[in-house]
Amino acid sequence: MAKASPKKKAKEKEPEYIHVKFDMPRRYNWSTGRHLGHFYAQAKENKKIVGNRCPQCKEIWVPPTLVCPKCKVEMGWDLVELPQTGTVYQYTYLVLPLWDPHYGEKWANPYPSATILLDNGVFYRHRLEDTDKDKLKVGTRVQAVWKEDYEERGEGPADILYFKEIGK
Amino acid sequence: MPNRVAIVGIGQTYHTTRRPDVNQPEMVAEAVRAALADAQLSIKDIEAVFSANMETFEGIFLPDHGMAAEIGAFNKPGFKVNTGGTTGGSAVVEGFYMVSSGLYDVAMVVGFEKQDCGDTTAAISAAATPMWGKGAATGAIGEFAKQALSYMETSGATEEHAAMVRLKADRNACRNPYAHLKLGLKSVDEVLQSPYLVWPLRILDFCPQSCGACVLILASENKAKKITKKPVWIADVEVVHQEPFRAGVFGDPTGKETYTQHVACERLYKRNGITNPRRDIDTAEIYEPSNWEEMNLYEHFHFCEKGEGWKLIEKGITEIEGEFPVNCSGGVLATNPIGATPIIRVAEAALQIRGDAGEHQATRDIKTALASALGGPNWTILTLLKRSL
Repeated sequence: MAKASPKKKAKEKEPEYIHVKFDMPRRYNWSTGRHLGHFYAQAKENKKIVGNRCPQCKEIWVPPTLVCPKCKVEMGWDLVELPQTGTVYQYTYLVLPLWDPHYGEKWANPYPSATILLDNGVFYRHRLEDTDKDKLKVGTRVQAVWKEDYEERGEGPADILYFKEIGK
Repeated sequence: MPNRVAIVGIGQTYHTTRRPDVNQPEMVAEAVRAALADAQLSIKDIEAVFSANMETFEGIFLPDHGMAAEIGAFNKPGFKVNTGGTTGGSAVVEGFYMVSSGLYDVAMVVGFEKQDCGDTTAAISAAATPMWGKGAATGAIGEFAKQALSYMETSGATEEHAAMVRLKADRNACRNPYAHLKLGLKSVDEVLQSPYLVWPLRILDFCPQSCGACVLILASENKAKKITKKPVWIADVEVVHQEPFRAGVFGDPTGKETYTQHVACERLYKRNGITNPRRDIDTAEIYEPSNWEEMNLYEHFHFCEKGEGWKLIEKGITEIEGEFPVNCSGGVLATNPIGATPIIRVAEAALQIRGDAGEHQATRDIKTALASALGGPNWTILTLLKRSL
């Protein structure tokens, strides 16, 4: 097998890389569309989390979507407002610097990221309030905390700052 | 009836953290030459070339345009695929479709990633849907950390079991001349001393970022029998997609989620009369980005009952000398050049069937092998290989 593949050579002087630095902003204009756009509008105007319900299997999808992935039917406009309280279901504590896919900026770090089981049984993925990582645990009751300034909202899922711990 | 397809040539580079001595096309050419030498073919014998790469990782866009000469694609048909973690697996399936359809008799599948060029974790996060990624993008590492937590809570597995998975991977990698991480680890404690990367994942719980390439040459039945005495037949393939950003895509103790692995297995096993995978298949090369995911995948692929994946590790069943060896090559835990990774799974499974794996050849005779690919929001690709059809 593959005997022609080169073996790792003993240490010799390492060639150099070209280091490239980008200093040019790239502009993108994405359409949120009618379904996801509804989520954006409800978050900005009413501080509500909305999904839509499949007419066939009755499963709620968040954000609202055009087609039910399971039934392959058009979802329609049976919109559902979701509860803003839930239970931490899975979590992790991120210490790596990651990029915000939304705006291309580096996220503050470290922070806890979680999968939250909302009180109507729908999963929602968001970050938790920056907290002592030793206090985090599965089963913690949490509630959404929104950006209070209307002008700052309009970023869809990012209109929720984080989920904070509440009493049982 | 589609045409039968065999793997007739296998080549890979050595895999490592940094390759400043070569650029991307030069690195890929090493694996192309190795595969041609293995098949004893000339590049002129290759009718079509299919390549696989996650271009945002390197920041070299349309890399197949830049290496048409080096991969022998000049004036030939073929195209590049990019499907996330499954990229290489998609390219193998693509090559299989093309040859089995009768369109080409000899095709080459080329997968590569030169991860010293960019920031892979940042690129994975940036690959999230821009309008919905916020709050969801944690890179691959965050997802597998959550999966590890769920697995720990529901199966009874401990950190010691995860450490034993790394020890197995490391022992096997040390016997594989092409593997990347060869740490020579001796004990569970050594693994447990490695620092946390993202709780509860330790550095040694997760796969490395590698530079490397892997190439397969596929041929139709008539050609294959002329080219080699040891063709490895691609008996079947299966591809299953998943909706992005579902909760618990990699681990869901509520049982609400549909796992692509279950769907893929059910179809592939049924078509091929596999009722007891550990009896009907001899080895597997699975795509395990973390120690925990390896135990999880044993269960998903029905190598054991649910919640018992860690027992296979504890009993040594999946060791290279074991009853059902898994990842004799050292797996993804030792070597992960993304676009090449799933092709390496198929290549290593094929080497086991040929009996050409050298020092990391399984003790038992391997006639049938399963290779898997995993990626994105848990997509699955399975490839079933056989010594004879």
